[in-house]
Amino acid sequence: MPDRPELSPAPPSFQNTPCGHLVHDDRGIILETNNRLHGWLAMSASELDGTPVIGLLSKASRVVYETSFVPMLALNGKVDGASLDLIAKDGSKVPVLLSAETTGSGKECRTTIAFLLADARRAFERDLAKARAEAEAQLLLTQREGKLREQFVAILGHDLLNPVASISSSVGMLARESLSETGQEIVELTQGSVKRMSLLIHNILDFARNRLGGGIELNMSDEAVLETEVRQVVNELRAANTDREIQLDISLQGKVRCDGPRVGQLLSNLLGNALTYGDPEHPIFVSLNTTDEGAFELGVRNAGAPIPPSAMERLFDPFMRSTNHGDQMGLGLGLYIASEIAKAHGGKLEVSSNDDWTTFTLVVPPGGIDGQTDSGQGETAIGGA
Amino acid sequence: MLFAHGFGCDQTMWRHVVPSFESSHKVVAFDYIGAGGSNPNAYDPDKYSTLGGYAEDVVRIGKELDIRDGIFVGHSVSAMIGALATIQEPEMFSTLIMVSPSPRYIDDEDYIGGFSSDDIEELLASLDDNPLAWSAALAPAIVANADRPEHGQELTESFCKLDPKIASGFARATFTSDSRADLPKITARTLVLQCKEDIIAPEHVGEYVRDQIPNSKLVMLDATGHCPNLTAPDQVIAAIRDFV
Repeated sequence: MPDRPELSPAPPSFQNTPCGHLVHDDRGIILETNNRLHGWLAMSASELDGTPVIGLLSKASRVVYETSFVPMLALNGKVDGASLDLIAKDGSKVPVLLSAETTGSGKECRTTIAFLLADARRAFERDLAKARAEAEAQLLLTQREGKLREQFVAILGHDLLNPVASISSSVGMLARESLSETGQEIVELTQGSVKRMSLLIHNILDFARNRLGGGIELNMSDEAVLETEVRQVVNELRAANTDREIQLDISLQGKVRCDGPRVGQLLSNLLGNALTYGDPEHPIFVSLNTTDEGAFELGVRNAGAPIPPSAMERLFDPFMRSTNHGDQMGLGLGLYIASEIAKAHGGKLEVSSNDDWTTFTLVVPPGGIDGQTDSGQGETAIGGA
Repeated sequence: MLFAHGFGCDQTMWRHVVPSFESSHKVVAFDYIGAGGSNPNAYDPDKYSTLGGYAEDVVRIGKELDIRDGIFVGHSVSAMIGALATIQEPEMFSTLIMVSPSPRYIDDEDYIGGFSSDDIEELLASLDDNPLAWSAALAPAIVANADRPEHGQELTESFCKLDPKIASGFARATFTSDSRADLPKITARTLVLQCKEDIIAPEHVGEYVRDQIPNSKLVMLDATGHCPNLTAPDQVIAAIRDFV
């Protein structure tokens, strides 16, 4: 074992430590400086010792030193990591980080300061601040552009509604004419397509309105309207998908308050999905019922491959589309809008999916829609869009 | 007796002075916006772009506490904020104690404030430019308290607590101010306390302040630097006692 070096009883020398070093007295007069500091400032010990420490600082740093550094040192006995500028003999600035500590009191008060060069760090901080300012400006620009795009979508969607409505009524009139069997089929297919087109446009409009800060507007109606809407949606989709079986079971007890056409839109979206993704060999089950607690539920169940767990998480996000299916049906707004309609009602859209069944259920608890009015004034703002 | 801190620190500035007056006076110390325990959300860049906004807050505190014939003790820039407050409400503060005051920091023809406008621009730019250094260096209490919010209210744990952004605005309001024209309007009895070797408020500036305020007296302290309330509290206490 090597001999332990003897501890020197003399105070340690800071002459050659790899940082700037300085000691000053109670009046700020420099008593001691080291080689590193001499090198940075291009000044010798004899030029520095005996002068006021504040003379080493740039004018801006003197103000900071006097107004913050000195008070903190007086109150706390130390300062850690202050960022100031020294002035070299030729007038150039030497950016430093400094830590200081005070010992003793009265005339015996001594302050020791250690300096580290900080030009690289200062440059890094400036770059950080600049990068942040640029990122913020870019974000603002992108947000503004995004808003413009959404306004464009809203206007486009709105303008598309009129021609679609006119096609719909024309086809409706055509259906009442006497047509050949082929003509009849074509009219039914066209009606289905127009319905789907109209639903897509409404979804886009709702999405754009949400993004622009509006909410989903509810016009409250009763259980009779709800039942009519649900039957109508199911019948329309049956007519457009004659090769598929859709079973409907309605069991409503007591009063139900909701926006019937909105729930119809929700059902259209769910049923559209079930038709696209469900196993065509099996029927789709739609059930509308009230529970003992007074909630009402609207469920759509289909057989087929389950929704993969990875897709579950973001199922209700806008523009989410199935990646394992040749889906050419829509934009991926259906489930998003459906869940927003559920939220606007104070309810939620639940999903369960296993090897046998995939089920989406709208659950609106009793009183979930309190505060809504019949006039349609009760607009529910939707966050997180 | 209302104690107001200057730029760069908070009311802890007065901790060595305030206790000496607690038995003889009703004593209140406060933090300006952005300092100490103040609520930074109340910051309004327009209102606080000049010292008038800060003086408005002093007057509000005075009204809230129903101060009449009070003593305003202001350090550094607060001496001028107090001057504006007492000009506005002469009955609220009949005595004004100015510790290391300066009505204008930038030289102007015959008037020597001690700084060129370039110096001040450099100072303000360095504060704006380098907020990370500013916050790390001068507001370590804020950084430390971010992890331990329960200490935020504890005075002994926080020294010179500053919100970097607001401090930067306060620096601009302070160092670009010119209150020279206000000094002759002061009717309160005024005591000016002056240190030696104060680069922020030099001796001749203290004399200028005394000369411009009608009913005023200057006391030279045996202390150096800008913060005698911290470095020579006994002298500050004695001088204030003598005067009031």
